[in-house]
Amino acid sequence: MLKVESLVKVYASPDGTVPAVRGVSFTVPQGAFFTLLGPSGCGKTTTLRCVAGLEQPSGGTISIDGTVVADPARGIHVPAYRRDIGMVFQSYAIWPHMDVFGNVAYPLRVARKRPPRAEIRERVMEALRLVGMDAMAARSATKLSGGQQQRVAFARALVRHPKLLLLDEPLSNLDAKLREQMRFELQELVARVAITTLYVTHDQSEALAMSDNVAVMSDGIIVQSGPPRDVYTKPRDAFVAAFLGAANFLKAEVVQRTGAQSALVAIEGGSGRFSVTLPPGIAAGDHIEIVFRPEDAAIHFAPMGGDDLVQGLVERLSFQGGSTECYLRIGGTIVRAILHPAIETTNGAAAWLRIDPARCVVYAPGQGR
Amino acid sequence: MTAVAQEAAASTPDPGRRWGELGIAGVLVISLTVLAALYLISAPLIMLLTTAFRGPQDLLPFEPGAIWTFENLRAVYLDTKLYTSVIPNTLIFTAGSVSLTFVLAFTLAWLVERTDLPWRTTVFTIVLFPLLVPGVVLAIAWIFLLSPNTGWVNVALRGVLGLTGSGPLDIFSMGGMILAQGVGLVPFVFLLLSAALRSMNPSLEEASSASGASPLVTFLRVTLPVLRPGILAPLILATLVTLEQFEIPLVIGFPARINVFSTRIYFELNTDSDLPAYGKAAAVALPFLVGGILLLLLYNRAIRRAEHFVTVTGKGYRPSRFALGRWKLPAILFIVIYLAIAAVLPAVVLVWASLFGYGVPSWPTLGTASFAAYAGLFASGKFWGAVGNTFLVAGSSAAIVTVIGALLAWTILRTRLPGRFVLDFVSFMSLGIPSVIAGLAAMLLYLSLPIGLYGTVWVLVLAYSYRMAVASRLGRAALMQIHAELEEASYTAGGGWATTIRRIVLPLLAPSLVASFVLLFILGFREFTLPTILQSPDNTVLSVIMWQLFQSNQTAQAAAVGTMIVLFVVPVIFAMRRLLLAQDGKD
Ligand SMILES: Nc1ncnc2c1ncn2[C@@H]1O[C@H](COP(=O)(O)OP(=O)(O)OP(=O)(O)O)[C@@H](O)[C@H]1O
Ligand SMILES: [Mg+2]
Repeated sequence: MLKVESLVKVYASPDGTVPAVRGVSFTVPQGAFFTLLGPSGCGKTTTLRCVAGLEQPSGGTISIDGTVVADPARGIHVPAYRRDIGMVFQSYAIWPHMDVFGNVAYPLRVARKRPPRAEIRERVMEALRLVGMDAMAARSATKLSGGQQQRVAFARALVRHPKLLLLDEPLSNLDAKLREQMRFELQELVARVAITTLYVTHDQSEALAMSDNVAVMSDGIIVQSGPPRDVYTKPRDAFVAAFLGAANFLKAEVVQRTGAQSALVAIEGGSGRFSVTLPPGIAAGDHIEIVFRPEDAAIHFAPMGGDDLVQGLVERLSFQGGSTECYLRIGGTIVRAILHPAIETTNGAAAWLRIDPARCVVYAPGQGR
Repeated sequence: MTAVAQEAAASTPDPGRRWGELGIAGVLVISLTVLAALYLISAPLIMLLTTAFRGPQDLLPFEPGAIWTFENLRAVYLDTKLYTSVIPNTLIFTAGSVSLTFVLAFTLAWLVERTDLPWRTTVFTIVLFPLLVPGVVLAIAWIFLLSPNTGWVNVALRGVLGLTGSGPLDIFSMGGMILAQGVGLVPFVFLLLSAALRSMNPSLEEASSASGASPLVTFLRVTLPVLRPGILAPLILATLVTLEQFEIPLVIGFPARINVFSTRIYFELNTDSDLPAYGKAAAVALPFLVGGILLLLLYNRAIRRAEHFVTVTGKGYRPSRFALGRWKLPAILFIVIYLAIAAVLPAVVLVWASLFGYGVPSWPTLGTASFAAYAGLFASGKFWGAVGNTFLVAGSSAAIVTVIGALLAWTILRTRLPGRFVLDFVSFMSLGIPSVIAGLAAMLLYLSLPIGLYGTVWVLVLAYSYRMAVASRLGRAALMQIHAELEEASYTAGGGWATTIRRIVLPLLAPSLVASFVLLFILGFREFTLPTILQSPDNTVLSVIMWQLFQSNQTAQAAAVGTMIVLFVVPVIFAMRRLLLAQDGKD
C-alpha cells in the first residue's frame, strides 16, 4: 500500500546542510497500522511530511497504492493536494474562521469532483458521528477544547475516505488523562474504518499499544522494525532496548562456551553464573552486556543454590500499589525488578536474581550504543 | 483548547487594588498621572470644540469681544467647495494610497515571510528603511525625481522616448500624491502585515493541501480568511494615517492646488490675506475628528477579533516556506524595482542634490561637487538650534508619554479606580486625533493661556505628548504578562506601593518601556505637522527647516538637511532590526 524506499531528506540551512532523514525504507500493507517511533529530532516528522507531499525528498522513492508519488531522480513529485491522504497535524490546524462542519466539509468541497450538497452533508455528519462530535457541528472552531479539536481533525482527515491516514503525534498536545482516553478511541476508530495508517510518536507505550508494526528511528535511519512484541522483547541494540521501556544492563565476562549458541558468563562485581544465548563471534574471556526487562527478573529472598542466580542487596523499595519496584545492587550496578505487592522485605536484605536465558539479550561490547 | 483557555484567562478579573490600599504615595502618583493624561489629551480638544462655536472668526475664543455663534459652521458647511473638492479629494487620495500601499506591502510581506526568497533579512531591513524618514523628506525627494520639467525620471523618459517639453509624468497631481503617499506608507504596513503572516500557523495551510485543495484554493479559502483580522487592523490603521496625512498634501498637493481636509484646516490658519480664521479651522476639524475616532473604534473591534482568532498552538509549529521555483526571478525583479523606487532613488537624489544642486546628473556636473550647502548649514546657528530642538522635543515627549502611559496601564489593569475604563478609552482615542487637529487644538489652548508657553519648544513637548495610546497599550500588553501575584508577593513581603512599583513592576516592565520610548522617539523625530502648525522662530525642528529651505528655493541646503536626517536614521534602523529579529529568534 505505502512503500518508502531509501528515503533521504537534506535541509539546506544557513550554516550548511542538515541531513534529517538518511535512507529510510519501509512498507505498510493495506489496512495496517505502522508507527515511526524515536526520540526528538530523529526525522519522524520529516519522513511523514515527505509521504504527505508537504516536503520534497532529496532522494529515494515513495509510492502510494502502486503509484509513485515521489522520485526525485526521475523528477516526480506529486503535490500534497493530489495525493489521496488524510492528515492530522500535531497542532490540529483547525481553521479558526470556519465552524466544525465547515472544517470537516472542506476536503469534500474543494475536491475536483465535488459531491452534491446533500451528500456532503451526509458524509460530514457521518464523519462527525464517528468521532462523537455530531452534536457540535455548528460550533465555532475557536470554541473547542483540545480533545474536541482533535476529534474534528480526525473527522476532517477521514471524511473523504482517503487511502492513507497520516498522524503526527496527534496525542502529544493533550494532558495525560485525556491522552489515555483518546488513545483508546483512536485505536478503535482506526480499526473500525480499517484504513492504512502511518503514525508518528516519541511515546513508546502508544507505539507498542496501537501498532501492527513499529519502526524505531534514530538519527535519520530506522534502527529496527517489526511487530511491537518482537521489537520489545528482542531489541537489536541497547538504544532500542532503552527506548522501548525500562531495561537493565549488566556487564559480564564469558567464562566458557557451552554450545554453538550458548555460554556461561560471570557477572562483573557479583557472584554466580548465568547461562545465556550468545551471538556468534564471541569467545571465552570476552566482555559482554546482558540486557533484560524488570518484569523478566525474578527475585528470591531465600538463599538458593545452583546456576543462573546472582546475589545482590536490596537498595531501595518503592511501593506502587499494584506492585513493588525493587532496586537491587549487584556490584556497581543497580537492577530494577518488579515484586508482587504482597512480598515484604526491607532495604539491605540479601536477594537473589534469576534471569530466564530466553528473555535476555546479549551484546558484544560496542554494539550497545 | 489554547484559544478557549486564553479567553478564560483573559476574562478572569484581576483582584485589583482598592483606592485605600495604595498608600499616600500611590494615591498621589496615580492622581497626578490621571490628571496629566486627561489634561494632555482633552484640554486642547475642549478648546477646539469651544472655538468652533465662538466668533468672530479671527478672535481667539476667550479674547474680549468673542461671542457664541454658528457663523463658523455656516461659513464652512454652506461652502459648496467642501463637497465638490475637499471631501472627494480626501476620499480619492485616501482610497488610492491605501490600495497602493496594501498591494505593495502584502506582496512584499508575503515574499519575505512565507517564501524561499533569497536575502530575506536584507530585504526586510531595506524595506523598513524609509519608515523613519520624515514624510516631508520623501515628498521633496519625490519632487526631485518627478517634477514635470527637471525631475530625473522625466528627463530620462524624455530622452528614451524622444519627447520634448515637460512631462510625461507630473508629481503635482492626484496620481503623484497617491504614488508618493502609497509608497511612503508601505514600510509601516509591511511591518504589521509581516507580523501577522509570521504568527500564522503554516499547518493551517498544509492541512488544506492535505485535504486536496490546490495552492490557489488554499490561498483564497484558508490563508486570506485566517489572516483577515490580521489584515483588517493594519488596513484601518493605514486609512487613519493616510486620512490625517499632512506632509504630502502640503508639499505636493499645494502646488497642484489639490486640497484635502488636513491642508484645508492649515490654510484657514495661514490665509494669504486675512488673519488666521480660528473658528473656521475648528469647524472644519470637527467631522474630521469624528471620522478619525470612528475609524479607531473600528480598529479596536478588529484587533479584538484578531485576539480571538489566535491560531498558533506552539507545538508542532514549523515555519515552512513556499518554494518560488520559476517565479523566483520575477519576485526578485519586483523587489529590486520596488526598493529602487521607494528607498534607493530618493536617497540618491537627496545626496546628489545636496552636493550638486537640483539638476540632472551628467558627466560635466560631476566636477562641480560642492560641500557649500553643508558648510552653510554647519555655520548656521538656526540649523544647530533645530538639531537641538528636534532631539529635545522628541526625547522629552517620549519620556513623558512613556512614564504616564505605563502608570495609566497599571492603574487600568491593577486598580479598581472608578472610571478607569473611561481613562482607557480616552488614552486609546488619542490615536484617532489627526495631528493637524492636535496642532490646531494646542495652538488655540496655548495662545489663550496667559503663561507665555506659545512659541517655545515646550509647547511642542506638550503638544507631542497627547499620543498616549502607544505607550499605554504597550505597557498594558507587558503588564498582562506579569502575573499580579508577583506584585502581591511583594506586598505580602512588606513592600509598600512605591517600593513594589520601583523594585518589582518597573524592572519587569523595562523592556516594554524601552520599546515604547524608542517608538515614541521615532514618531517625535519624524513629526512635521505639529511643529509646522505651531512654528515660531524659536522652536523650529529639522523637518520644518528643510521645508522652509525648500520653499525659499535653497534646494541644495534643503537636500543637505534631508541627507543629515537620513544619515541619523540609518543606525537606528539597524538597531531596530536587531531588536525585531532577536524578539522572533528567526533566521
Ligand atoms: N525546515 C527545516 N530546516 C532545517 N532543518 C530542519 C527542518 N525541519 C527539520 N529539520 C531538522 O531535521 C531533523 C529532523 O527533524 P524532524 O522534525 O523530522 O524530527 P522529529 O523526529 O519529528 O522530532 P520531534 O519528535 O521533536 O517532532 C532535526 O534535526 C531538525 O532540526
Ligand atoms: Mg516531529
